[in-house]
Amino acid sequence: MRLLAQHGASNGDKVAEGMRKGYIDGVIYSPRDISAENLREQLAEDIRINPDATLLFDPQYYAGHNVVDPEARLGRLGTCEEYGKYFRQRRRRELESGRPVLIKDINDCLQFQNELRLSGIIGPNIVITRSFDSIEAVIAKNFIRLTGRASAKLKPAKPVYATLALSREALLDKRELVDFLTDITLLDDPPKGFYVLVESRNVDARSDILNADVIAGWMLINYTLSVNGYEVINGYSDILTPFLGIAGGTVGATGWWSNLRTFSLNRFQAASGGRLPIQRYLSKLLLNRITFFELDQLRSVYPRVLNGLETDDIYPEETGSQPDRSEEVLQAWQTIMSLNKDLITDNTLASLKRCRQAIKRAEVAYDEVESYITRLDPRSNRDHLPAMLEGLRLFADLAELETTLPDAD
Amino acid sequence: MQSGVLNPDTLKHHIRDLDFVGPCCDSGGYKSVYIARVAGRKEALKVLRIRKIEGDPDIVEAFCDEQVTRVKREVKALKECHIPELVKLGTVAPVEFDYNDEKYIAYSEEFLEGSDLRKLINSERPLPVIGEVIQLFQSLLKCIQKLWQHGYVHRDIKPANVIKTTDPDRPFVLLDLGIAYAVHETSLTLRHDERMPLATYRYLAPEMMQPDFREHIDYRTDLYTTGMTVFEYASGQHPLAKGSDDLMRTISRALRQAPVPLKHYRNDFPDSFCDLVDGLLKKKPALRPANMAMLFRKLEEIS
Repeated sequence: MRLLAQHGASNGDKVAEGMRKGYIDGVIYSPRDISAENLREQLAEDIRINPDATLLFDPQYYAGHNVVDPEARLGRLGTCEEYGKYFRQRRRRELESGRPVLIKDINDCLQFQNELRLSGIIGPNIVITRSFDSIEAVIAKNFIRLTGRASAKLKPAKPVYATLALSREALLDKRELVDFLTDITLLDDPPKGFYVLVESRNVDARSDILNADVIAGWMLINYTLSVNGYEVINGYSDILTPFLGIAGGTVGATGWWSNLRTFSLNRFQAASGGRLPIQRYLSKLLLNRITFFELDQLRSVYPRVLNGLETDDIYPEETGSQPDRSEEVLQAWQTIMSLNKDLITDNTLASLKRCRQAIKRAEVAYDEVESYITRLDPRSNRDHLPAMLEGLRLFADLAELETTLPDAD
Repeated sequence: MQSGVLNPDTLKHHIRDLDFVGPCCDSGGYKSVYIARVAGRKEALKVLRIRKIEGDPDIVEAFCDEQVTRVKREVKALKECHIPELVKLGTVAPVEFDYNDEKYIAYSEEFLEGSDLRKLINSERPLPVIGEVIQLFQSLLKCIQKLWQHGYVHRDIKPANVIKTTDPDRPFVLLDLGIAYAVHETSLTLRHDERMPLATYRYLAPEMMQPDFREHIDYRTDLYTTGMTVFEYASGQHPLAKGSDDLMRTISRALRQAPVPLKHYRNDFPDSFCDLVDGLLKKKPALRPANMAMLFRKLEEIS
């Protein structure tokens, strides 16, 4: 499974460094955070570093529909004239009004990207914010259908991925989800694959996405699309990347801020202020990030918490394990890539077993960690583990991975 | 006389084109089949006795019309979907006639030398080799693809409706579009209150048991029954049903029980092939691999 950088504000040298060191396989660019002119330069630089890099561009079309705040922070998306070729504010009535509006927006969006040095093109769509049984879901389905159709006419041809963006709430109703998947897996003109986004209202609430139903639903989307021959690119998948890979996903992505690790429309809302977060270390053993000072407390007494990867050096003991803020993401990328290698095999059932074992190991490790640090930071604790374990069980059930032997009755 | 088997002379009297009709060679339900000779060619003459019901004369008439229309639709579908893997129409176009106060409709199809898979499965045969099973799989997929291109779902793919022929150019041929569903046409089933769909219950896809199945039906229903047929032909075992099961038990298994993996019976087959067949047997249509190009490619790779 490939891992991409989820691009955002303050890129600096992070993406280039990640690609140079082989911690990521490419980037999903965010037009909100880069002008079209700079994007062209950046793409040329990426190709120089890695000619085989997967270079994508999330058109963020959804922001023109789902973000209605007059103070919205659309960044370059709103100010860069070139993005105006495809990005426009669309009210629901316009999107409901018929195919011509959708076809125009899709064609403009695909055409804009086709002129960039991207390895694939992501189609526009809106976010299904509540339920699959909604007008929004019908509009989203139309975007998906028409994206496939438009992709067939693209010259020169490039792989096109239809966007499927939905809120975590929409994932909770499994019946509606399955019905939706039944519809979108039977397209007359299928795209090459899907760009899947799962939206959280609160990127700081771990339990929003690290929830059993959300994990199982997101895995089911990956599984269903992949058995039907689609490539699945998961945006903002962060630590869930290996789980989605087990389910058949082909790409995962994560970035350097919390709003690049979890997809949220809040990113486009007016800023409420705040301070810089504490740097964290992503531990393979714990399947979680702990603060750098927790790492510092643990590393000498419980060294297993370290990954033993090259990027451990970013957290030097002599500075109290505090990393340079610009390098923190390199550690996360290398760790997720390493987890992908450890957990994903060609066989779904075997991978699930490995994943369950990794969670069990994390539970045991937390028992030991808690004997050294009695009170972990709320986001460093073990709360994610039961959700992960239950998510895997639910997924196996939904994907009908269990089999029966003939004498069972 | 549920199947309405008729005397050959009676048939010759009502169907003028026939040079010769042999005795009935197969019958079931309200249908009977005869080997006939028409314009010097051997053909299979299919005769359907129109089922009667009692009650409101309008309903009775509509019920009869439905059965006639179903036969005409089958003929129309076969005319449209012309591929070697699907049975071809014969010389006799649908002809309606009355005999002994009963209504009949008859038409002919090509006569295929060979045996249906049901008989082969029930016989003392050695289990087929992988190459042969792949041929069966490919043949059924071609039929599904062709039918779907014209907006049809076969709905009754099962071993008894597939002939293993003696012709190496078309080793397997699918028969009987009698209950084919035309997705773009009006439903023919008059009595929607009869919840059970028409297909054979041991080969009924789980979604067909939902009351609103007509709203969602597509070719993935045929992929499920193809999986069933390939599984049973390859292993000699039905993946879900047991011989002693009654209708309700079989339906319950189809809805809830996970099938036995094909690998359990055929561990000499490649994993990728077994996975493909098992994948078609998923309860949720969305989970069945439905990308036809991908399915053909995978089968080609395995073979």
